[in-house]
Amino acid sequence: MALKDLVTFGKKDVPVRRESDHPFALFRKEFDDLFDTFFRSFDMQPFEGRIGAFSPKVDVTENEKEFNISAELPGMDDKDIDVSLQNDMLTIRGEKKEEKEDKGKDYYRMERSYGYFSRTIPLPVEVETDKVDAKFKKGVLTITLPKTAKAVAETKKISVKVE
Amino acid sequence: MANEKQDTQKKEVAVADREERTRERRVYVPSVDIIEGKDGTTLLADVPGVDESSVDITLEKNILEIYGKVDPDIPQDMRLALSEYGIGDYHRRFTLSDEIDREKIQATVRNGVLRLVLPKAEKAKTRKIEVKAGE
Repeated sequence: MALKDLVTFGKKDVPVRRESDHPFALFRKEFDDLFDTFFRSFDMQPFEGRIGAFSPKVDVTENEKEFNISAELPGMDDKDIDVSLQNDMLTIRGEKKEEKEDKGKDYYRMERSYGYFSRTIPLPVEVETDKVDAKFKKGVLTITLPKTAKAVAETKKISVKVE
Repeated sequence: MANEKQDTQKKEVAVADREERTRERRVYVPSVDIIEGKDGTTLLADVPGVDESSVDITLEKNILEIYGKVDPDIPQDMRLALSEYGIGDYHRRFTLSDEIDREKIQATVRNGVLRLVLPKAEKAKTRKIEVKAGE
């Protein structure tokens, strides 16, 4: 078992179910859930609180050749965002700073999120690590991850026949 | 001890407030910060996916309305595998006080954040009156 299999955080957000039929994985999941419920009753979360002030929500789209992961990060600059890929874990992290000119003024209402954030997304298939591309436009970060030829070949389409 | 995590989930416009629309779109309420300064109020709204050409700001009587249009740019051959934030327009309404100089309202959009500067009207600015010592 690889080390990353033991990492609990981020796994909840797996876009694709995997390993869940494995008895050990099932056991671990139940254990995680138990911990989550336990900590929730104290109004705190075991891991997530430490990782960042907030974790951005993501949308994932895919076709046969590639994955697109997009995250809404309004008010950030491209240089404040750090995207890294390690094995099959994609991590988006950064810090959203309060604007200097607004500091020291009175806030009437504060709904927007500030602070350090991090989000790790496990990738369900192998990707071409050196062809990963990240764009930041209009407050939306889009990461394009082309699947490897091997991963594409492994996907087999099964046609449904009418009898 | 509670290490509360900030909620980044967008809120959809409540059904009761929803008016009939000609476009079948989801509509979200953007999160805002309202900052009160000496010379006026600054309003910051999170509108990721919106740029200066797709935002509408209207002021009617004392109702300020923000409407941001977002084009769903999912290419035809892509399918959605996971959707956490949802793509949709933004709409929110504010009631302004009379203290604001309507002529001088400024709006800018940068990196998905709309910044509205609402300057105070000249007459509403607080003036400090000097008290002189009587002789």
